[in-house]
Amino acid sequence: MADAVENKKNIAEGVPTVTLTIDGRETTVPKGTTVLMAARGLGIHIPTFCWHPKLKPMGSCRMCYVEIEKMPKLQVSCALEAMDGMVVLTDSDLVKRGRRAIIEFILMNHPLDCPTCDKGGECDLQDQTFAHGVDDSRFDFQKYRFTEGTEGSTFDDLRIGPEIVLNRNRCILCYKCVRANKEAFGEYDLGAYERGNIMEIHRAPGRQVDNPFSGNLVEICPVGALTNTDWRYKIRVWLTQTTSSICPFSSSGVNTLLYKDDHQQKIFRTTSRPNDDIDDGWLADVTRYGYQIATSPDRLQTPLIKKDGQQVPATWKEALEIINKRLNEIKDKKGRVCIGGIVSPSLDNATLHSFSKLIRVTLGSNNIDYRTQYRMLPKEPENVYDAMSARSFKISDIDDSDVIVAFGSDLVKEHPNEYLRIRKACNFHSASVYSVNPYRVKSADVARREMIYKVGTEEVFLNGLCLAAIEAGMAEGGDLKEKISPSTAAEAAAICGVDAEHLKELAAAMANGRKVTFIAGELVSRSRERLCISSALANLTRLLGLENKGQVSILPHYANSFGAGKLGLLPQPPEGIRNALTELWGAWPEAEPLTTDGMLINMKKEEVNGCIALGCNPVMLYPDREFARESLEKLDFLLVADLYETETTGLADVVLPLASWAEYDGRYINLEGRVQRANRALKPRFESKPGYEIVEAIAEQIGDKLYESSDQCEQEISRLVESSNVQPLPDKYFDVRPAEEESDEEYPIALFVGDDPHHSGHLTEKANSLFNFCGEAYIEMSSELAKKLDLKEGDSARVESKVGKIIVPVRISTTINNDVVFIPRNFSSTTVTALLMRKKRTDRVKISKVVN
Amino acid sequence: MSFYSPVRTNAAEVAKSDRLHLFKYVEDPQQANIDTFVAHGGYVAWRKALTSMKPDEVREEVKNAGLRGRGGAGFPTGIKWGFIPQASTKPRYLVCNADESEPGTCKDRVIMERDPHAMLEGMAVASFAIGCHLMFVYIRGEFGHCIDVVNRAVEEGYAQGYFGKNIFDTGYDLDVIVHSGGGAYICGEETALLNSLEGHKGMSRIRPPFPAVEGLYACPTIVNNVESLASVPHIINRGSDWYKSLGTEKSCGSKIFSLSGHVKQPGNYEVELGYNLKDFIYSPEYGGGILGDKKLKGVIPGGSSTPFLKPEDIDVGLDYESLTTVGSMLGSGAVIVFHEDTCIVWTIMKLIHFYRHESCGKCTPCREGTGWLERMITAIEHGRGRPGDVEKIESVCENIMGRTICPLGDAAVMPIQSAIKNWRDEWQYHIDHGKCQVKTNTEFV
Amino acid sequence: MMLSEQSIARMKEVVTKYPSRKSAVLPALTIAYRQIGHLDDDIYNEISEAIEIPAVEVAEAATFYTMFPKQPRGKYLIQVCHNISCALLGADGLITYLEQKLGIVKGETTPDNLFTLISVECLGSCATAPMMQINNDYYENLTRESVDRILKELTEQAQAEDEA
Ligand SMILES: Cc1cc2nc3c(=O)[nH]c(=O)nc-3n(C[C@H](O)[C@H](O)[C@H](O)COP(=O)(O)O)c2cc1C
Ligand code: SF4
Ligand code: FES
Repeated sequence: MADAVENKKNIAEGVPTVTLTIDGRETTVPKGTTVLMAARGLGIHIPTFCWHPKLKPMGSCRMCYVEIEKMPKLQVSCALEAMDGMVVLTDSDLVKRGRRAIIEFILMNHPLDCPTCDKGGECDLQDQTFAHGVDDSRFDFQKYRFTEGTEGSTFDDLRIGPEIVLNRNRCILCYKCVRANKEAFGEYDLGAYERGNIMEIHRAPGRQVDNPFSGNLVEICPVGALTNTDWRYKIRVWLTQTTSSICPFSSSGVNTLLYKDDHQQKIFRTTSRPNDDIDDGWLADVTRYGYQIATSPDRLQTPLIKKDGQQVPATWKEALEIINKRLNEIKDKKGRVCIGGIVSPSLDNATLHSFSKLIRVTLGSNNIDYRTQYRMLPKEPENVYDAMSARSFKISDIDDSDVIVAFGSDLVKEHPNEYLRIRKACNFHSASVYSVNPYRVKSADVARREMIYKVGTEEVFLNGLCLAAIEAGMAEGGDLKEKISPSTAAEAAAICGVDAEHLKELAAAMANGRKVTFIAGELVSRSRERLCISSALANLTRLLGLENKGQVSILPHYANSFGAGKLGLLPQPPEGIRNALTELWGAWPEAEPLTTDGMLINMKKEEVNGCIALGCNPVMLYPDREFARESLEKLDFLLVADLYETETTGLADVVLPLASWAEYDGRYINLEGRVQRANRALKPRFESKPGYEIVEAIAEQIGDKLYESSDQCEQEISRLVESSNVQPLPDKYFDVRPAEEESDEEYPIALFVGDDPHHSGHLTEKANSLFNFCGEAYIEMSSELAKKLDLKEGDSARVESKVGKIIVPVRISTTINNDVVFIPRNFSSTTVTALLMRKKRTDRVKISKVVN
Repeated sequence: MSFYSPVRTNAAEVAKSDRLHLFKYVEDPQQANIDTFVAHGGYVAWRKALTSMKPDEVREEVKNAGLRGRGGAGFPTGIKWGFIPQASTKPRYLVCNADESEPGTCKDRVIMERDPHAMLEGMAVASFAIGCHLMFVYIRGEFGHCIDVVNRAVEEGYAQGYFGKNIFDTGYDLDVIVHSGGGAYICGEETALLNSLEGHKGMSRIRPPFPAVEGLYACPTIVNNVESLASVPHIINRGSDWYKSLGTEKSCGSKIFSLSGHVKQPGNYEVELGYNLKDFIYSPEYGGGILGDKKLKGVIPGGSSTPFLKPEDIDVGLDYESLTTVGSMLGSGAVIVFHEDTCIVWTIMKLIHFYRHESCGKCTPCREGTGWLERMITAIEHGRGRPGDVEKIESVCENIMGRTICPLGDAAVMPIQSAIKNWRDEWQYHIDHGKCQVKTNTEFV
Repeated sequence: MMLSEQSIARMKEVVTKYPSRKSAVLPALTIAYRQIGHLDDDIYNEISEAIEIPAVEVAEAATFYTMFPKQPRGKYLIQVCHNISCALLGADGLITYLEQKLGIVKGETTPDNLFTLISVECLGSCATAPMMQINNDYYENLTRESVDRILKELTEQAQAEDEA
């Protein structure tokens, strides 16, 4: 039905159409629509095996036969364009015979081991045999069996990746897995080998199927040829119930389904819940396997309180009493302002908003921040930055953008969902993609042009684009030239180390593009100079009028970063939000506001004495690990709520077990500003509680109930979410004078820290499956650099910065450039943030070989 | 060494004829050298086309000549060239299909080994007609010597300015790439060939889009057979009217037929289309009669993919139309002769093994169907046939016929269907008695 | 490293000939096969590095075609066409004859690693049947006598090469 609506929408836009008759019913569809889709629009279901809505048709399984008047042969509807006047039969005798023959052919060598197959109950082949097949086989030979590599076992079960098992005998060679892998994900770890009836799907030579999207291959396999280890032999699908949820690990808000057993109170897997506006039905592995952090037995079970320097289990009552007592002590001793609140932007709206009220109203402090991973944030509202990061952005608008720029973002790691969208735009609409980064990233594989700028020259690059556009007469520029430096595009190109022609090419592409999507990523948002960079980006946006023909945004990183911003969880929220909050609460604390940075500095000076960290782990995340730890250690009282014991809970006086997103109904705002709900699938595990309940319990204990009902809280949230609309960009150009980059010869190599594609946030290493993909941190470097340092894959490298050193195993990357290394964060075993310095723009290290 | 295959040809006869032309110099050991080729009137058509004709004039000429594709499908060459979208600004490509792998067919190899410039000249003219500046020859990998000869010919052509930049000072550039295959019959099918040339597996593509619109590297592409292209310069030189006067009214020109199997004089012979099949097999210039003067059992007239003819049907013209009237096809022009001591089940077993082995595996009916057929037919041949098997084979054939992505599926079942139709008794005998009615002689002497 | 520097250089050169890099896959496979005599996963990876095409694509193409075997073969690879035109003129008998002469069955290699015998599909030599291909060369219109002579010549040639 959704298809029909979509067709209509396109038609309304004045697309040329064709009219045809399917099974006696007339339908009008946009030109270019396939017969299959036209039929679906009428609610007529044509069976398929090899067709996938998000892949180019292959037309190979031949299950989707239809009969077309005046065509003597059966036609495959998935690859046949609907034509004016076509008369289509989808259910004639000939069609039925054709389908039956296909089922017979497919079943010939299929093992029919449905009783032991995990796909049973949701298997396309089973369903279609039921619907279209016959109950007897005319094939009376021994079935062909794959045995090679199976060590003689009757089951052809090959572990081809950390989480994927392949059974070649069940495979019906629809090629969806290989096609999706290459076409949709750009991955080359799975292939189809040999030819004819001995063709087989298998992993790439000498490799594992371990790409960041590998779980999708299992989901789209129409039979049980690909299964994943988390689900295999655990439960039959019809014994499970499903709950709709969303991905809590990235800002896209990818829609998911959790498969659970209410009786066992267990989740067994996550699958997609396709939402074309957001995710096209693809899940990154983090999204798919991340549910395991909710179900792990290592979860915190009860509150912990510190007794004689030891954390010991306690009841909620005991814990809350202590919290109340200690907070009051601090308040009495020092006054209200000496309390800080740090919160994770992955938490839901209700939790964030009630936390905000707890800190601001109950505790009367303005020290509240959700931005733990950023360094040197200014106290004042970052107007330009805030504006640029909350531009209106629609994921689905990527699809038909003809020019797409990915700037300062390792897309596959930061925004896997948008990366897939960009791939689709390339595959289906030949979009021109420009990848602009200080080091080579995987996502550049779709780029028409990849540009590598010198580390720390983001704003120069953007200025250069402005200058190139002005110099070529593509834009007016007004007084912009006087406000920025350098003064020519050529100079800018030289400073950034990029080809001036390429700069011009990109400027022209954006100036001439019909619809432009410009995505800026973490290298902007995490930069110490992010204000300056976003000013440069605002200039470019205004200069080229990008907002009139597309979208420009600095994408937020976490599941509810956008929500945290909208709800004002900042020391000084933008004016509008602040006013709205003041009105709602009838009060606004007088106290001087402090950012995460400011709080940590003041903790160290013992001017902030109490802190509540809700669902976050500053010791691991803050870009100066020792500094964060020393500061937190100085506190009189630290309260941490989290799912697991972490580096930060280790320092706490009271630890509270926090419920996971799967254990309560929560709302999250994705990077588009779309509010979505993750439903409760399980009861909170052990004694954990959802964040908003914890916050309310603390407030109640203090004697200041925050809300009479959850509805009251939701209403406030709705008002805030609705009220703060996208801010218009100011009608002027900003001064952007790039600072000189400090260099240090002793530490020659630039270090970048970010997510591993299989990890996001500080908890995913607790998910077994994700741990199986990547269980420890590594340092990624080019083979040339490795050679220079006498390092090989797997060797241990000593990485030192001015402030710290760590030892990590080496991984050789074919994409990264020679003067840069990458180390993933979020591994408790590797304290990479110990290398970072909060005051520096660029992290620099030296590397040597560890000889044992 | 300028030619390698000891295959028999009718070059002497062709040399005397004013009408036959393709084989005129194939027995001249020097013909592969460019100087000899030029001395024999080579590259005149190329010069003529490029310096004095417009591309659409060349297309018209070939269209009027009525030349039809010699690769198997018999599609009119000039019309195919006209399918290139004129408005497209993408590069255009010409690919010469030299994958010759259809069992029974061995004609293109002779042209390439002995008269490679004839093919290259035809390619050049065709390229000009479609506006192509980079042309490819896709030669099956097993033809190692052909590849060497053609490569040498290409070098000579470049050296003498027939290819490269600014040919004949007209400003026209034309480059040639010789690409060798890796051993796969399916790569003779044009879309599989293009995939193979692009470096993918040689799997066929669904049509539309047709190669002329979206072929190599998604650009407009014309694929033509070696022999089709080698015929083109003659049309340019002597005019379409002359060419049309050869052959029959609808099957114009002459064609090389590969004659193999149980004949006294197998070989490659150029005859005008419409030449009588029976004469072709029996006349002393060509087949010279059946091996051992045995009785004829049947003939495959157009390569192993075409239906069998029974002896009573062979008094027929070797042309596109006449062969259709007797239920077969001209195909690639490979005439395979079977004498009375051939078991039809054994023959079909050989053929279906081939098609099963060569099925690319992309679409279900061909991939699975050929495998099933091979197993059933092999079982019958080995005496394990069961009542009802013939009907089952027919039914499986029906489920493949016309239902596959490319014509390989049809090619696999057409000979089977005709073999059952023509010799049903023999199949039945096989099943009933568990052995051949006539034992094929497979002795090697 | 199995690939010689020369092979790698030739692969890199071939890449530049085509409008699309990927077209170099088949030529590169041919170069590798000519040098090494067989291909395997490691070699796919080396080719992949040389022509900068994912190894999986190299392997997919390689395994699709018949000319790039994974198993090493003897010095002389005898491929007998067993297809219809040759079969009508005794190809099956020819294979048996070769099996007896070489003392191996189809698919095997002689213990001295000199000859590997396989049968293949139509080699485009139908009018000169029966025939076989040994390495790059076609041998046509075969008779017992000519087969004897050919095998003798090749054996002698190998011996001469060994001695030299
Ligand atoms: C399975 C199959 C195999 C084919 N093999 C060849 C071949 O070896 N050589 C050839 O020229 N055409 C072959 N063809 C025909 C080509 O697809 C194509 O029609 C031909 O090359 C067009 O050239 P033409 O129009 O000059 O004949 C084959 C077709 C099929 C379906
Ligand atoms: S493994 Fe599954 S998805 Fe892949 S080709 Fe086989 S049946 Fe299709
Ligand atoms: S769904 Fe159309 S051919 Fe497979």
